[in-house]
Amino acid sequence: MNQRIGVYICHCGSNISDVVDVIKVRESVKDLPGVAIAKNVMFACADSSQKEIVEDIRNYNLDGLVIASCSPKLHLFTFRAVAERAGLNYNHYVQVNIREQSSWAHGDKPREATEKAIQLIKSGIAKAKLAESLTPMEVSAKDSVLVVGAGVAGMRAAIELADMGMHVYLIEKETRTGGHVALWKSVFPTDESGTEIAGRLYKEVKKRNKIQLFTGAGIIHRTGSIGNFEITINIRKLLKDNGQDKQGMGAGSSGHEENEERLILSCGAILLCTGFEDYRPAKGVFGFGESENIITLPEFKKLVEQGEDKLVHAGREVKNIAYIYCVGSRQEDGENKFCSRYCCSSAAHTALEARKKFPRINNFHINRGIRTYGKHEILYQQSSAAGDTFLQFNEDHPVEVTTGSDGKVLITLNDILTAGRELELEADLVVLVTGITPSGNSSLTEILKVPAGRDGFYNEVHPKLRPVETVMDGIYIAGCCQGPKTITESIRSSLSASSKIYSLLGKQKLSLEPTQAKINTQLCEWCDNCRQACPFDAVRKEDLDGKSVAFINASVCKGCGMCLPVCEPNAINLVGYSDVEVESMIEALAE
Amino acid sequence: METTREIKDVLVVGGGIAGQETSLNLANQDFKIVLVEKDLSLGGKMIHLSKVFPTLDCAACITTPKVSETARHPNIDLYTYSEVQSIRRLPDKTFEVKVIKHPRYVDEEACTGCQECEEKCPVVVQDQYQYNLVGRKAIFVPFSIANPRVAAVDIENCIYCGFCEKACPAGAIDLMQQPREFIFNVKSVVMATGYRLFEPEKIPRYGFGFFKNVITSMQMERQLVPTRPFNTVLRPLDGKMPDNIAYVLCTGSRDETVGNPICSQVCCMYSIKQAQLLLGALPMADVTIYYLHIRAFGKGFNEFYRQAVDMGVSFIKGKVGRIREKENGNLVLRYEDIATGTIKEAEHDLVVLSVGILPNSNVTELFNNGEKLETDTYHFVKQVDELINPAKTSLEGVFVAGSASGPMDIPDSILSAGAASAETASYLKQLS
Repeated sequence: MNQRIGVYICHCGSNISDVVDVIKVRESVKDLPGVAIAKNVMFACADSSQKEIVEDIRNYNLDGLVIASCSPKLHLFTFRAVAERAGLNYNHYVQVNIREQSSWAHGDKPREATEKAIQLIKSGIAKAKLAESLTPMEVSAKDSVLVVGAGVAGMRAAIELADMGMHVYLIEKETRTGGHVALWKSVFPTDESGTEIAGRLYKEVKKRNKIQLFTGAGIIHRTGSIGNFEITINIRKLLKDNGQDKQGMGAGSSGHEENEERLILSCGAILLCTGFEDYRPAKGVFGFGESENIITLPEFKKLVEQGEDKLVHAGREVKNIAYIYCVGSRQEDGENKFCSRYCCSSAAHTALEARKKFPRINNFHINRGIRTYGKHEILYQQSSAAGDTFLQFNEDHPVEVTTGSDGKVLITLNDILTAGRELELEADLVVLVTGITPSGNSSLTEILKVPAGRDGFYNEVHPKLRPVETVMDGIYIAGCCQGPKTITESIRSSLSASSKIYSLLGKQKLSLEPTQAKINTQLCEWCDNCRQACPFDAVRKEDLDGKSVAFINASVCKGCGMCLPVCEPNAINLVGYSDVEVESMIEALAE
Repeated sequence: METTREIKDVLVVGGGIAGQETSLNLANQDFKIVLVEKDLSLGGKMIHLSKVFPTLDCAACITTPKVSETARHPNIDLYTYSEVQSIRRLPDKTFEVKVIKHPRYVDEEACTGCQECEEKCPVVVQDQYQYNLVGRKAIFVPFSIANPRVAAVDIENCIYCGFCEKACPAGAIDLMQQPREFIFNVKSVVMATGYRLFEPEKIPRYGFGFFKNVITSMQMERQLVPTRPFNTVLRPLDGKMPDNIAYVLCTGSRDETVGNPICSQVCCMYSIKQAQLLLGALPMADVTIYYLHIRAFGKGFNEFYRQAVDMGVSFIKGKVGRIREKENGNLVLRYEDIATGTIKEAEHDLVVLSVGILPNSNVTELFNNGEKLETDTYHFVKQVDELINPAKTSLEGVFVAGSASGPMDIPDSILSAGAASAETASYLKQLS
């Protein structure tokens, strides 16, 4: 039993101390049995405080450390490292969350928040008293990576990972690489050809022996976990493969499905670069589907690229083009509350390209506030300077689109740039500036268990601290599957992920938490309940001296504890959270 | 001047969030880093912020552990209060780097940060780390979460009274300290030199510097941090708690008349964030944001903007033309009200200028030997292959991270630093 515990009560600047009476908290815990020292600190995570705690552990010969501060999600590892630097095993450190669980949750009830903080700390002290030293498990890790999605983000990451010396499996569900970018001719802000960019990346991918590319492939099964995943993929083979390497577009897309092949890939980490889907408006939204003269931005891009000396659509020359922005983005009532980030710049850029090629057209931008952020602002300036007209509506007065019998489209709006005047506009062509939507990867999500946010995009652990990591250890996200991005931004995130993955796997070994379920084989009466409860397939039946017992596969068990409550003879214990520890915490809370 | 020479893999210029992230990524891959920060402390701009959008995490809680990790990492040699003097490419492709460490006039190793010297120092000057809201002494620990948390003497304002020397229990003060020069050989360079804020004096019609109740967004930020100097929000003229606050967006951004045509990318969001925090700090106050377009484009940003609307922040579309001061210190904003198409005036008791982001202009001149680090039209470090190699610059072996290449918020800076570290790592691998 640990009897020399140091307790630190963090003010978190004022995040905690504005609500919780931190002085009273210290007074209430400093004389408790087992507490050797109790202190208030302004920011426990600041370097000077960390140094102070290290010195205290040494000077007072502390055998347990409790820091009452923020959520362990933020700083568990920071403070464990503090304990270790002072020579204290990391498991002798207990984090008590009095910010999210006290000061922030009960900002309007300071007295009660203070009481709660005291009880939480008492419970933390109870746990620290019983804490035993644990040693992390060293496991070997494969220095190979599965990159899912061979758009620009996926290909760029594959190249980088290969150059760092890792083996890469790059899988793509389509029969060609390059994703959306390969279909675009001119992209902002450099006016480079998207097709060429995708082609450049594809050539680099093919140059590297360390990258194995599978097109027409998808994940169908997963076992294992960080460092040692086993992923089964399904590859559709084409009967008729025209085999041409058109501008790095991979194998030709014409052909018939012949047979399917299954492969098992072993990898240490998985990087999801599954991209996005263009928003597809429902029939009737801004007249979509009711007239051939109402098209989406990707369709318009193609039209501009294909046009020769005149811009012709549906057999007629187009002069007046109306762009309606935020279609499928920033929805008040619909599901997509988010801004799709790239479309304002993309629409302004496309309109400029169109005007360059067809000087006789008129562009009317019907927007909800142009968001050409950063240097993209120049696109907005250029299109204004070129004579484009900008009109703006807001969510209270939606734009109405009606189709005349002559094929022309009539648009009415309340233009807030002219004091809300109702304007009518006759256009030859309406371009719906459609946004980005998350790819509907429900089976992938199911297999890999990577959570998506309310907006449908994969969730990072923390936008600033761990922007390319997911809560599933060893599974990373980059590019537009995490949220709307431009090409540059997608590439940045995929390079970031490559860097993190290399740091993880470069040494080919990992140290993992020993927090795992342990079976007491004497008590176990194999009833199969634990196997059924385990979400990670870590439990199997084994024979032990003629008796059937449960066996936990240590490389798979995540220590989630799901098996514990279903075990009737109470034969399972969770290392680091034993019944004795948890009961003592509950007792301290209930005191 | 004493000179030492060491061999390292990477020079990282700038110890803000991008420089730290780059250094840590590379150091964790066992590269040897020398990190040079010109300020007294690591942390750049971010360490001075209150809470950060759109999650409202406290900035200190995110940045201080990173600062601590950077300072402690065995593969990172940190030089604070130091400047890169020159970077010269040698025939073997490596760079020779000269670094000058300015004297703090305090022995960094000996100082414990007890601040007893501050108590005795008789000189009071404006505190640049509190954006001149309050004063500090001529000997001072820069701010409470500074790293290193040791004192420095502001020698220009020091009167050499010797009080601090007598007060220091560690005998750490050394007013005879000299600059020190260090020379390194490195294989590559990452420019993480960040940005500077627009100086609103350049728009005289907004009255900054003349009207006391016109402040910058950084001055408001400091009033909202957990360690805020007044423990509440006060307007400077008379210390009154403001109840009708205005934000003027695009101050120094999207404005050809001040030579900055581009959008600063962060001002809309930080103003919306401050507005939300103000509604918490001053529940009775009204907050009005005067804007051209709200650029809430990042993940969770639009939702954060809608939340501010729902909380009761007023958004008025229109450019503020001029600000004038009334006798009671209140300010009258003359603006173009787009909603009605008329020129209007409105009175507020505190005006916050949401100042934009500008490039640090002197960073490109560090290179000699006939080499020049190219910049773009707006004087940010030029990305020569922006779409595929976003950290690549015009010089081989030199990469760029964070807002040195253009305006960026914190999440984007961190991703940009990740890209810079990846590109640097593969460059180094290909060298060996």
